[in-house]
Amino acid sequence: MKFFEFIGKMILDIIHMAGKMSILLYEISKSIFKPPFRFKLFVKQIEFIGYKSIPIIILTGLFTGMVFSLQSFKGLDNFGAGEMTSGLVAMAMIWELAPVLTGIMVAARAGSAMTAELGTMKVTEQIDALDAMAVDPIHYLAVPRMLAGVFSMPLLNAICIIFGIIGSYFVLVGMMGTGSSIFFENMVLYTTLSDIIDSLIKSFVFGLIVVNVSCYNGFNTTTGAEGVGKATNVSVVESSILVCMFDYILTSVLIL
Amino acid sequence: MIKVENLCKSFGSTKVHNGINLEIKKGAITYIIGPSGTGKSVLLKQLMGLIKPDSGKIYIDDFDITTANKKQLLKVRYKFGMLFQNAALFDSFTIFDNVAFPLREHRKLSDDELQEIVTEKLKLVGLSGVNHKYPSELSGGMRKRVGLARAIALSPDIMMYDEPTTGLDPIMTDIVDDLIYNTQKELNITSVVISHDIPSVLKNADYIGMLYNGRIIQYGTPEYFKTTDNPYVRQFFSGSKDGPIKVY
Repeated sequence: MKFFEFIGKMILDIIHMAGKMSILLYEISKSIFKPPFRFKLFVKQIEFIGYKSIPIIILTGLFTGMVFSLQSFKGLDNFGAGEMTSGLVAMAMIWELAPVLTGIMVAARAGSAMTAELGTMKVTEQIDALDAMAVDPIHYLAVPRMLAGVFSMPLLNAICIIFGIIGSYFVLVGMMGTGSSIFFENMVLYTTLSDIIDSLIKSFVFGLIVVNVSCYNGFNTTTGAEGVGKATNVSVVESSILVCMFDYILTSVLIL
Repeated sequence: MIKVENLCKSFGSTKVHNGINLEIKKGAITYIIGPSGTGKSVLLKQLMGLIKPDSGKIYIDDFDITTANKKQLLKVRYKFGMLFQNAALFDSFTIFDNVAFPLREHRKLSDDELQEIVTEKLKLVGLSGVNHKYPSELSGGMRKRVGLARAIALSPDIMMYDEPTTGLDPIMTDIVDDLIYNTQKELNITSVVISHDIPSVLKNADYIGMLYNGRIIQYGTPEYFKTTDNPYVRQFFSGSKDGPIKVY
């Protein structure tokens, strides 16, 4: 009986949380169009979420492209199709690897810090203080982060794709002896503009998810340092899982 | 004037407020006292609409805030200034930016005017030369004073203080008490103060309400509180562990 109670409670908790997160998203989107537009805070968040994520996104993209090329070349070469590897790598990077990895990396780097910052503000009553001074915390704290998140993420995704391809070029052209022109020819042959647009749409949604989950957990932090730690942890886990889940959902919608 | 009618609030299965009735008079200092954990801070936050009560009414100048929407609540909060228990200063802002924050948000002022008002408010709480410091560089007492300067920056009608003297040394306690008193006299506002500090209460209060078991069990002037034989009040004032108030 205990087991069923546990399952039931877990499902109810998940529905409850999904509802509250959706309400937050609704409130954020409602506040986006309310004046004043906080340009300074927006730029600050762009710097934090976007600009400062560039190095890890470059490294992630580079090594993912390299290892993926190495593995794929080994497999495809058995069938004499080694030269097509660049097309495969580009497709995989654009469709899946770049948006998902960017989403998870940004959740780990910026999302965690966002939750910790908002959580600390919550437990030290700084968020209450905003409210007390008749400043809407969602408008002041969540909106600039959300705008910066959905703006930065597609750009980071593009950087990740580019460096994935550069990594692939190192391995395939530099090490495996694929001709440079064949590399690019195959890459262009197998990818279309709509693939890239789909990829950017995905990363836009992932940006939305990461910021929404991070803000939600920050705003709902309870009691002290332990609470902040827990919220940060939960935030990264939830963001990552949701990115993977929505990756499937979006793919099935976009592919149709 | 603030009027509270039959206010109830629970957190989970814990009943914090069980029918509070209270009237806070305009232009007076009202102290809310009571043992720790009786929901004094929660009461204060409900008065400002930061926490929504389960049932009951709260009237701020005859406007019921329990049924107000977000927009109306934000408007009501213009009337309030609040000093939080730990001052709740923005730790990533300098002292100047902290005090200037509500002004920047709600008034269109030039840099010179801003500078002038912030300096004036900081002077009112006895601080100068701290403009470029960060909250973490100040002592607890100084932080509370900055918090007070920020709270009065927009010249509110009602000031709320959440345990303004807790954790301060006796001299700083006296300074903060005087600040509360002088702020009240100079700006002629309504003040609501939460405190455990009996000497401060007796010195400053115009009226006192004692909160226990989710209700206001006694209300009156300091003179009344000094002479009442209400056993709860007597125990709280004497600071004895023996009596009707049970500490778990």
